[in-house]
Amino acid sequence: MPSEGADRIAVLQGTLDLIVLRTLETMGPQHAYAIATRLQQISEDLLHLNQGTLYPALVRLEQQGRIKGTWGKTESNREARFYAITRAGEKALAEETLRWRRMSGLVEKLLSQGA
Amino acid sequence: MRRFFARFANLFRRRAAERELAREIASHLALIEDDFARRGMPPAEAKLAARRAYGGVEQAKELHRDARSFAWIEQRFQDLRYGARNLLRTPGFTAVAVVALALGIGANTAIFGVVNAVLLRPLAYRDADRLVTILHDGAAPVAAANYIDWRGQNRSFEAVAAAEYWSPNLTNSNPPEHLTGLRLSQNLFPMLGVEPMLGRWFAAGEDQVGSDREVILGYRLWQRRFGGDRGAVGRPVTLNGESYTVVGVMPAEFKFAPFWATRAELWAPLALGDRVNQRSGRSLRIFARLKRGVSVAQAQADMAAVSARLERQYPGTNRDVVVTPLKENVVGKVKTPLLTLLGAVGFVLLIACANVAHMLLARTSDRQKEIALRTALGASRARVICQFLTENLLLAALGAAAGLVLAWWGTRALVALSPAYIPRVEMVGIDTRALLFLLAITVFTAVVFGLAPAMHASVRNLSGALKEGGRGDSGGARRNRSRGILVASEFALAFVLLIGAGLMVRSFFALSAVDPGFNPHNVLSMVVSVSGSNEAPAPAREIFYRQLLEKVRALPGVVVAGGINHLPLAGDLWGWPFVIEGRPRPRPGEEPGAVYRIAMPGYFETMRLPLLRGRTIAPSDDARAPGVVVINERAAHEYWPGEDPIGKRIAFHYDARTPPTWLTIIGVAVDARQYDWAYKPDPEVYLAALQNHEFLEKAEYLTLVVRTAGNPGDMAPAVRRTVWSFDRNLPISGVLTMDRVVADATAQPRFETLLFGIFAGVALLLAAVGIYGVMNYSVSRRTREIGIRISLGASRAEVVRMVVRQGMLQVLAGMAAGVGGSLLLSHLMAGLLYGVRPTDPLTFAMVTVVLGLAALAATSVPARKATRIEPMVALRSE
Repeated sequence: MPSEGADRIAVLQGTLDLIVLRTLETMGPQHAYAIATRLQQISEDLLHLNQGTLYPALVRLEQQGRIKGTWGKTESNREARFYAITRAGEKALAEETLRWRRMSGLVEKLLSQGA
Repeated sequence: MRRFFARFANLFRRRAAERELAREIASHLALIEDDFARRGMPPAEAKLAARRAYGGVEQAKELHRDARSFAWIEQRFQDLRYGARNLLRTPGFTAVAVVALALGIGANTAIFGVVNAVLLRPLAYRDADRLVTILHDGAAPVAAANYIDWRGQNRSFEAVAAAEYWSPNLTNSNPPEHLTGLRLSQNLFPMLGVEPMLGRWFAAGEDQVGSDREVILGYRLWQRRFGGDRGAVGRPVTLNGESYTVVGVMPAEFKFAPFWATRAELWAPLALGDRVNQRSGRSLRIFARLKRGVSVAQAQADMAAVSARLERQYPGTNRDVVVTPLKENVVGKVKTPLLTLLGAVGFVLLIACANVAHMLLARTSDRQKEIALRTALGASRARVICQFLTENLLLAALGAAAGLVLAWWGTRALVALSPAYIPRVEMVGIDTRALLFLLAITVFTAVVFGLAPAMHASVRNLSGALKEGGRGDSGGARRNRSRGILVASEFALAFVLLIGAGLMVRSFFALSAVDPGFNPHNVLSMVVSVSGSNEAPAPAREIFYRQLLEKVRALPGVVVAGGINHLPLAGDLWGWPFVIEGRPRPRPGEEPGAVYRIAMPGYFETMRLPLLRGRTIAPSDDARAPGVVVINERAAHEYWPGEDPIGKRIAFHYDARTPPTWLTIIGVAVDARQYDWAYKPDPEVYLAALQNHEFLEKAEYLTLVVRTAGNPGDMAPAVRRTVWSFDRNLPISGVLTMDRVVADATAQPRFETLLFGIFAGVALLLAAVGIYGVMNYSVSRRTREIGIRISLGASRAEVVRMVVRQGMLQVLAGMAAGVGGSLLLSHLMAGLLYGVRPTDPLTFAMVTVVLGLAALAATSVPARKATRIEPMVALRSE
């Protein structure tokens, strides 16, 4: 059922892929829970999302060949699917980052001047 | 792109993907749980906290699925599987719905197959939409000189060509055969854009007298008489005693002319000779090809100018020249009947749709709980509607599959049953276009019958529906109203259809009651072709005809025999102008005219065509006796009003230069139906064959009529042997009983009435099943209420009245709408009706009674069932 959560995701959607890729690049292979926790940490709880909503992004990225998932064991000896960034993912991340910077710079410029 | 393939692949590995997903979610939950536990939460609480942190598992799964694959397609597969299971769970419902839809879809496809082949497909000539005919009144033939002038003076046509009826006898060949063919101007086939399959087309100049002894064969004639031998080209054939050379063979699918001489199977050049200056003796059919960009209306205006100029020059020769699209000539007569039938069969489909729709509505009510549950589990309204539409599409597809079988069978039956009058009927079949049509109406059907129930299916008040345990009628009133409207519209449609059928039946009875003027029972007829036989000279012919009649009359079982040039209802009409002695000479083109028949002695007696006054043509009316003529009643009224025509004299072929040949009127015969069963007869004259030099000299054939004591068909071999005892080379064709000729003349209305009757019968059945279903359902829904009524003292009769009243209210409302609809629509079929007006009150009354009784019978079953409700059982149920 649709809820307010969906609205937050919708805002995020464009950037979620970027964040996931960046997280995997800096932290190495991670499972979904670790990614979600990391997201919460860096957003200082501003971004509170249901962890299940991470899956569409993971599936999408994997299908695009930007990440690759393999089953492994955590330190606590639980089995989990670890996602690692691929070569294509690194390339995409670089491009997306550049685009994001340009975009946010533009918005920033607009906001500071337009007032 | 890569993602597309991944998603596509996931369509087929759904199960594996699902397992993977479940495994991942489980691991994810476990990890959260561990985390919470590490922070010191008790295990049970940690589990719950993990769930909360994770969010809705099912929703997460849905999101995953959306991203993973083409959710839309995957869902359709799911819906399809689910729908199939649902339909299998209620086989009774499914069977009734599929049968109703199959009837509707099948009948529509079959009729569309006919309409498509006959009306929609272009004629099989190059750029056939630019082909036209130029004829007097759009139908009557044209004189040679006019053809030459039109060809030379028009500015609208790329080519103008002429065709003339030709029926030569194939002789010197066993058996001799009377053939149907055409003589064609040399440019005709090139204008059509057709090529011979073998050999060549006539060369320029071969349509000159003397070099016109060439013939092109139709495929069937080639197969029949030449065994399909490719060496037939170049071989000689004897036609009417003269030698022709076969120069070509046309392909099997070729047909010309497409109207009028449709049975033509050989073609020879048309050599006009000295006829190029003749403006009487109209015998040519003119075909033309419009120049590119010229419309029929422009060509008509052009021809109007040309013919007006010629009419001033040669008065009475160029009136009412009409340019008609060739296709209009071919299918004009069957267009209205076929489109009317298509409309009727469309009504049947709508009734079937309404029927299935209210059955679905009832089902939807029963499925409230299921729908509520699905909604609660996260199905959106769109998704629920989609599920229902999928189920409907499945139902429609089943109906269509059964309908296709029905259509295939129906089309064959239609072709087999269809009288010869339907042009191009040999092309009827289920082709790609008919299949596309089937597909289109199937989807249309699914949407029409499925949308209303689907809209009703989605509920807003979830908990209400769940609590009421699926029996609750949240939105029930709305649904009841929808069902009522559907049943009412079924009856409205059925009413209109039954009116159509009723009018056709009444019209058919009126046609059957027509008195043809003669008595067709126990009469055998056959065409004896004489041209090319050895008995050629006129005096010899006279003796031959006399002896032939005498010999036939002498056969045991023969009561009387006679002959005529053209049989009533079976031949073309030939009209001739004449002058009346003692009256001022009329202006050219305004002479009195009459259909011209040439009769042998004994004709009137054989046909039992009674004379009102005077005497019939006798054997003594020969070349030595004074000229005589018998006229019909209509001619007497028209040309001698208030006078006794007996003894008056008339003359044909009046020409100022030669003295007229006066014929004395010796009798007035009753009007006989000659041309078309439904047309009032024209003025007619019967000339005496034995004194008509032109007939004796030039007539190519004679129609022998024989009145027999027993079954006329049994006499055919004996009569044939008698003819051949004179000359083994005389072709005999058209061996028919007069009863058969009459039946053929009414074949078209009979066929249309039959089809209309079938459709109306199906409509009646569907409507009755519909009202039965609705009332039956209503009674079962109201079991408790009726139980209470009975326990409170309602009598059985009151219960029956209540149920019947409820049902009949819907029926009557529908029938009232049907009366309105019929009044609006029935005039469209005025052209199909004979002797009955489209607003015939008797038909309306009969249909009201029939439909009302059917509805009453259908509602009385559930009403009776209602009275059997046991109050105690009803109250305890639920």
